Amino acid sequence: MSTTETRPAKTSRPPLGVRLNYYSAQNVPLLLSIGILVAMIFIYLILFALRQHRLPGSFELSTTLNNSMSVGLAALGQSMVVLTGGIDLSVGGIIDVTNSVAARMMQNNPGSMLEVTLVVLLIGAGAGFINGIFVTYGRLQPIIVTLATLAIWQGVALLVLPQPGGSIPDIYSNLLSGNISALANLPSSLVIFILLILLWQVLRRTRFLVTLFAIGNDERAARANGAPVQLAKVGAYTVGGLFSGAAGLYLAAVATSGDATTGTQFTLTSIAAVVLGGMSLFGGRGSAVGSLIGACILTLLLNVLFFAGVNPQLQEFFQGLFLILAVIISTLIRRLLQRAR
Amino acid sequence: MSTERSTLRARLPQLTHNQRGTVFAYIAVIVLFIIGGIYRPGFLGLDNIGQLLLLASFVGIVAAGQTFVILIGGIDLSVPWVLNAMAVLLTTASLGRDSRAWWVIPLVLLIGAAIGSVNGMGIVFFDIPPVVMTLGMNGIMQGLVLGLTGGFTCSTCNSVAPPVTQNAVTGQYLFGLPNGLFVWIVIAVIVGLILSFTTLGRRVYALGNNAVAAYLSGINVRAVTIIMYSLGGLFAAVAGIALTAFGQQATLGMGDPFLFDSIAAVVIGGTSILGGRGNYWGTIAGAIFLVVLRAVLQQYNISEAGRSIATGVVILVALLLYGREAREV
Repeated sequence: MSTTETRPAKTSRPPLGVRLNYYSAQNVPLLLSIGILVAMIFIYLILFALRQHRLPGSFELSTTLNNSMSVGLAALGQSMVVLTGGIDLSVGGIIDVTNSVAARMMQNNPGSMLEVTLVVLLIGAGAGFINGIFVTYGRLQPIIVTLATLAIWQGVALLVLPQPGGSIPDIYSNLLSGNISALANLPSSLVIFILLILLWQVLRRTRFLVTLFAIGNDERAARANGAPVQLAKVGAYTVGGLFSGAAGLYLAAVATSGDATTGTQFTLTSIAAVVLGGMSLFGGRGSAVGSLIGACILTLLLNVLFFAGVNPQLQEFFQGLFLILAVIISTLIRRLLQRAR
Repeated sequence: MSTERSTLRARLPQLTHNQRGTVFAYIAVIVLFIIGGIYRPGFLGLDNIGQLLLLASFVGIVAAGQTFVILIGGIDLSVPWVLNAMAVLLTTASLGRDSRAWWVIPLVLLIGAAIGSVNGMGIVFFDIPPVVMTLGMNGIMQGLVLGLTGGFTCSTCNSVAPPVTQNAVTGQYLFGLPNGLFVWIVIAVIVGLILSFTTLGRRVYALGNNAVAAYLSGINVRAVTIIMYSLGGLFAAVAGIALTAFGQQATLGMGDPFLFDSIAAVVIGGTSILGGRGNYWGTIAGAIFLVVLRAVLQQYNISEAGRSIATGVVILVALLLYGREAREV
């Protein structure tokens, strides 16, 4: 990329136009996914207005965001692993376990809520940690390690919660999926989304995330430069598991009950969200903000299909087609841009 | 651990890493059969072994396609619903009549291969990562099956598989063993021969080991990739036909277990998930191993949850034994 050569020294900050130009050249996939999101929102608004003769209100906003949140959290976890060039198929299994544990253990008192939240997040992180250990110190391929742990966690979840059930206190559920009255009745999922984006903006500047980007781009070079590759990779899987655990917890909070098989679909949707968000599955490129956007795109797509009156049984067909077409279009645009430069 | 390893290495000196995996897998299968036999001697009866091997043949056939795809460094996640779609196509198009089977079966196989080739084309012409392409294809096929059959409420959905296919799978002509087993043996020999003794097979290994080197040495990388993915679709279709014939009818979600099983069978059999190393003989052992493991666990009254955990643990152990990569410098 020629833009990197013209990058000026740190001391003299270039004018805004140059910086924007540089930013957009570096973030084509992310900007593309934002473009898709805007287009989806637009189509959704039109269809909604045509069907309901009004514009969607705060209820629609909060349900859409609530539905996106679980996928978004899972996709965030997936992003960590995908950044290193790996893939985490156990996301669904971790969600199964954490979802079951949360629904089974949580009592209606603050102490229990806090305790179970911590336990569930710890379980998620622990599951990710195990993946990370097998991948780095076991020197095994991520895709197959996580396929095996997926089966293990699915089994564990069934042991924890053989029948769908359990319960989540209403207060807890409202806290995570209701509206916050202190903040002008904004949906709490919107606040969580914003916090997650801010968290990522901080995280990606840390030594840990920079190491992950380095590993994804060239693991050998990262090692040769003295980066703690194995440690960072274990960290990536652990943080990934933590986010998957959070997704399972959030899912339980929204449904106010648990289901040991609810996570199955999330392995695939989290990958789809990461891809739609413009992250490269080969590692080292992309932003977790994109993954959150990808999750929203997937949810909006379902809403659009619904309001377009598409046979719900054809849902998967359009989702699959959309995923493939989105990747093809972004590939073509990238090729076009490369030729133009 | 280290002493045990060195003795094994001394005993199997001329075997490569992956061939050792294949040998391990076959030894594990025999051990499993013995464990099953200790609990219930009938487990080792020809009848029971025949039935278990027949069940393994379905996994083995899907895994044949998966072996081809994984050998070139890809992966096929579209297996479950391609299999399911082809099974539904078989019953709804043939209406359970032998008189239609002669054109329906080739049609099903052809469409299966065509779907696989679309996977391959997306991957080579648009640089779509195999995971994404086959994942999307899986969704597309799932939606098509559900949508076109109206959630499996169509009038022809309850048709059975043509008797000729049922005969080919569950009939018994030789030694009281199901015919499906011999179909699998024929497929195994063909796949083994393709991989070991044809130009295409050499190209598969070359491509899997180093795509750039394969391209530079004049191999049509795109064509080989497309052929491998279409074989993946073809074998999913074959398994769809066999499974429908076995259960007489097609059902929704009948392909779901085969994604995990086909990949696991390939890996347990010693084939590298990175491609370029491995063979179908190992995959066969992997498929038998998975099916027999579940049967043994079921005999010991272990629940579905326990079986799932055990399968996962076994895969991890197998990987640690022979799936590790070389230490990087």
